[in-house]
Amino acid sequence: MEELTWTGSMGAILVPLITLTAAVFLTGVVVQLVMGAFAPEVKLQSNPDGTLQGRGGLLGRLENYTGWLFMLLVALIVAFIVIAWFMPYGDAGILGEVSKRFLPTWIALIITFVLSITFKRRLGLYGKLFDSTIGMIGFGLVMFWVFTSIFVGLFDMIGTHDPLQQISGLKNKTPGVVVPEGQDEGFFPHYLLGGDNLARDIFTRMVHGSVIVMVIAPLATIFAFMVGITLGLPAGYYGGRLDTVLSFLANLILAFPVILLFYLLVTPEIVATGLPNFLAAFLFVFPLVFFGVLINSRYKNQAGKNGLLLALVLAPLAVLYFSTISDAGSPLYIWPEALDLFDIPGGILVVFVSVVFVNSPTVFRIVRGLALDIKTRDYVAAAQTRGEGPWYIMLWEILPNARGPLIVDFCLRIGYTTILLGTLGFFGLGLPPESPDWGSTINEGRKLLLIFAHPALPPAIALLSLVLGLNLLADGLREESLKD
Amino acid sequence: MKDTTYDGPILEIDKLSISFFTRLREIPAVMDFSASIMPGEALGIVGESGCGKSTVALGVMQDLGVNGRIVGGSIKFKGQDLNTMTTEELRDIRGSQIAMIYQEPMASLNPAMRIGKQLMEVPMIHEGVSEKEAYERALEVVTDVKLPDPKRMLNSFPHQLSGGQQQRIVIAMALMSKPSLLILDEPTTALDVTVEAAVVELVKDLGKKYGTSMLFISHNLGLVLETCDRICVMYSGEAVERGSIEDVFDEMQHPYTQALFRSIPLPGADKNARPLVAIPGNFPLPHERPQGCNFGPRCDYFEDGLCNEAKPIPMYPVTGNERHETRCLKFQEIDWNAPIDVGPQTEKPEPGRVVLKMDNLKKYYEVAASALFGGGNKKVVKANETLSFEAREAETLAIVGESGCGKSTFAKVLMGLETATDGQILLDNQNIEGTPIEARDTKTVSDVQMVFQNPFDTLNPSMTVGRQIIRALEIFKIGKTDEDRRQRMLELLDLVKLPRAFADRMPRQLSGGQKQRVGIARAFAGDARIVVADEPVSALDVSVQAAVTDLLMEIQREQKTTLLFISHDLSIVRYLSDRVMVMYLGHVVELGTTEQVFAPPYHPYTEALLSAVPIADTSVKKKHIVLDGDIPSAMNPPSGCPFQTRCRWKDKAGKEKCETEVPPVRVLAEGHQVKCHLPDAELANMEPVIEIPATAAE
Repeated sequence: MEELTWTGSMGAILVPLITLTAAVFLTGVVVQLVMGAFAPEVKLQSNPDGTLQGRGGLLGRLENYTGWLFMLLVALIVAFIVIAWFMPYGDAGILGEVSKRFLPTWIALIITFVLSITFKRRLGLYGKLFDSTIGMIGFGLVMFWVFTSIFVGLFDMIGTHDPLQQISGLKNKTPGVVVPEGQDEGFFPHYLLGGDNLARDIFTRMVHGSVIVMVIAPLATIFAFMVGITLGLPAGYYGGRLDTVLSFLANLILAFPVILLFYLLVTPEIVATGLPNFLAAFLFVFPLVFFGVLINSRYKNQAGKNGLLLALVLAPLAVLYFSTISDAGSPLYIWPEALDLFDIPGGILVVFVSVVFVNSPTVFRIVRGLALDIKTRDYVAAAQTRGEGPWYIMLWEILPNARGPLIVDFCLRIGYTTILLGTLGFFGLGLPPESPDWGSTINEGRKLLLIFAHPALPPAIALLSLVLGLNLLADGLREESLKD
Repeated sequence: MKDTTYDGPILEIDKLSISFFTRLREIPAVMDFSASIMPGEALGIVGESGCGKSTVALGVMQDLGVNGRIVGGSIKFKGQDLNTMTTEELRDIRGSQIAMIYQEPMASLNPAMRIGKQLMEVPMIHEGVSEKEAYERALEVVTDVKLPDPKRMLNSFPHQLSGGQQQRIVIAMALMSKPSLLILDEPTTALDVTVEAAVVELVKDLGKKYGTSMLFISHNLGLVLETCDRICVMYSGEAVERGSIEDVFDEMQHPYTQALFRSIPLPGADKNARPLVAIPGNFPLPHERPQGCNFGPRCDYFEDGLCNEAKPIPMYPVTGNERHETRCLKFQEIDWNAPIDVGPQTEKPEPGRVVLKMDNLKKYYEVAASALFGGGNKKVVKANETLSFEAREAETLAIVGESGCGKSTFAKVLMGLETATDGQILLDNQNIEGTPIEARDTKTVSDVQMVFQNPFDTLNPSMTVGRQIIRALEIFKIGKTDEDRRQRMLELLDLVKLPRAFADRMPRQLSGGQKQRVGIARAFAGDARIVVADEPVSALDVSVQAAVTDLLMEIQREQKTTLLFISHDLSIVRYLSDRVMVMYLGHVVELGTTEQVFAPPYHPYTEALLSAVPIADTSVKKKHIVLDGDIPSAMNPPSGCPFQTRCRWKDKAGKEKCETEVPPVRVLAEGHQVKCHLPDAELANMEPVIEIPATAAE
């Protein structure tokens, strides 16, 4: 077995081609910018048949050419990814092999896009997303990591080794290094992205890290939204003293230095007092309150249906709630062990609590502002004049009509939470030190960054692409929800 | 710069077509539109919303946004084609030779700049005059638009002025550079009627004084009659008829124009004897226009094979009239003088027993003088002052007044959203004035319901129509099972004449009129006996107004509902109400049957209101009474009679008395009461404001 090169046998043809195209394209863009500054302005005039008149002359042609060049560049890169799938092992180089490992993700992505674009007119806002290039790119990036985490987490597919397995001799080895014979029988002959300072496979750790991020970030964001919505709606709807008190508390939390807060929460002395557990008990009760009020306000007049639905929704939620907060070591050990479905490691609980705690005040303020606006609408007045209760008005009349900005903020906030998780991991807070999550691995890699850059880069790029994707997705959603 | 030798038409639009391009398709907004405006002439463009009248104006300004394109025809301003001009040249013309006035005055003024600065900018940019000269001119123009204390005005910020004053400033700004063409896009829609009358008068006078040509865009036929020389009626992107005001109003030659006139409540229309004729069907969406004549499917004179042939219909000149054209293939065959096919006449229902009684109702709000620090001085806003009246079963009581008169507060107190400060409200002899809505029983709540003003706001946008009606049924505890309620919901849709398939639609898929029908269905879900209708049709197009009004009347007849109809539109009030209550600054200034209120003797405010309402009938003679100034703020009402600051009769009643004493309620005739100091002799001498010639009144 030989060491893998970056681009393999394809590289000989494709890499010069890509480089050349990119260089010409960039020159073209620069020339176009310079010429554009001196060009006469374009009058929007249409031809008799209704088509638009194009810009003529040299500049017009140049604009067309750079457009084609860009398309060619994209096509070449796609070709690089796709051709690799059909090459025998070892020929495609490191990038080709990585692309091959991600094959299940690629297939899932292609299926998702083909289906969504085919039926986009019937899919509401989700369908409209596919009219915006920015939105599609964002959605693609996000779904790439979602599918990856699903295939890794549920089917153990993409990773090449075990994320914790150390193979001697591969410590800090550069990408494409050969795994020595006999150490890892018949498994995978290379460390695709090299080994870290404990001789573990960086590629595997990166894809396994996505699972942790993908589970914690959206969940924590959902909890933050539950808390923010449940408190923000009454603050905006009632106003007055309640609003003043809640807004003051929100500002107080926002003004507190986040990192200090995290350190405080994980300090052994503080953990011993049970503060994180009490906080968890407080914050995790909001989903129960939210769904309880949601159902009760709606079906209050139909006692039978109301009871049934409440029982159906609240019973499982309650079991989950008590399983989460009750733990052998915690001061809130109140739930019988037989009914305790799972135990959450103390570290993760703290991460969860702190992320929810710092995110919910921002959500609170957004929801409060939206409620203040929407409560002046006539349909709210109509609900009041037919004697609806305040919670029905808040949850069924106001909240659904605030969904646009909330969905956009939800996407952005998952991004922030992901970075926050990275920060927490970076400071070694919460998660165990061997955890492959991106924050922790970046921190590990940072220590030898000047000598070996390769262990820190893959998780950093992964984090970057996910957050970028979420931001683009949010942008696309905002843009599309404003149209029509 | 200014071409003084040119004497042809100021604006010449020839076969203009404008389209908007969306992701899905090209949407033609204006097709084959031609018009010309001579110097000093005023052209009115009327049509319903979505007919493309504003697009024409934007086309003239060459400001169609990113999606809009002129796809054919030419727009010539003083002989120069605007379509081929560069941005630079256009910038020179806009604001200096063509000026535009928009609907929302606040949105046209920069809130961070003093009025004077904004006005002075215009000549300084366009003509490069010195600051001093610009100031002189600003002062002159502000005096011209009849604003009090011009110097102070120039030194104030936009938010310190009232809506009417802001609109005057916008007009002043448009006149700063003495433009040859003034485009007014619904300039008075956001204003109250009495203020509107004053602004319209001003525009007319200034047009004469400066010799400006005007393009006046409005949905209100009466307003166009008062301001313009020529009129162009638009329907679904096309001009269907154009000509001089007299020709079009008196000898209309297009079925749409005729239908439009029959659907507005002119004096003489009566809800029982001569109900309004609504135009059947709906306005076609721009991409679903029918073949041939756009109005074909809704037209009474439709002829299969002729009107729906797939070829464009040109404008035909009408012989005998000058520059009068119509886009109708059959205009020569139609007998335009045929009497109106009078719809089904109905018996006027006898008002039954008294259902609702208000006695000396008062509602005061306490407003802290300083919002930042509670306490301090508190100001009392008297939103309702000694309101007393009775409403009977199956009766329509109209409550008339402009913004700030306290009609919304009254509705809130009646509904239980607020509790009364003093006095009583008796519903079936039970006191409800102090019971907030949470404390009322279901029966009381479902008995008193409300129809709201803005159709786009009255339905929850994220719930299906059926779901919203069913919710009302649930809350009123009607029906035992979901199936019962669904059935009842479908019956309610039948009641408001909507197809049952609408139950599963979302509100955004409905037109304004349809939404308003759903709002009515929802209000009647619990068999309401008293319905407060807060300007239910004022936001709708005229042709839809007629249909919705008739629907309300029909339901009322069937269910013997008491209708409290809040409105500022006296035409519609005259048409449908049995009794009228006129409110001003929280006071009831006049109360009586419709005949009593609409005939002298009037309260001075009623007189002014009547005169302010534009009437789209050339044969009606109207006395011209223009009120000075704006409605005073309820925070700081005038002493004595609330109307004394704007009253033209003040001298005759004894000035001092008006300024110091609140007038007592005087009963003039059985059921007719007025709050005024005028002596009986003066009241008896009042002349009618509106004179309807005998032929129109029959």
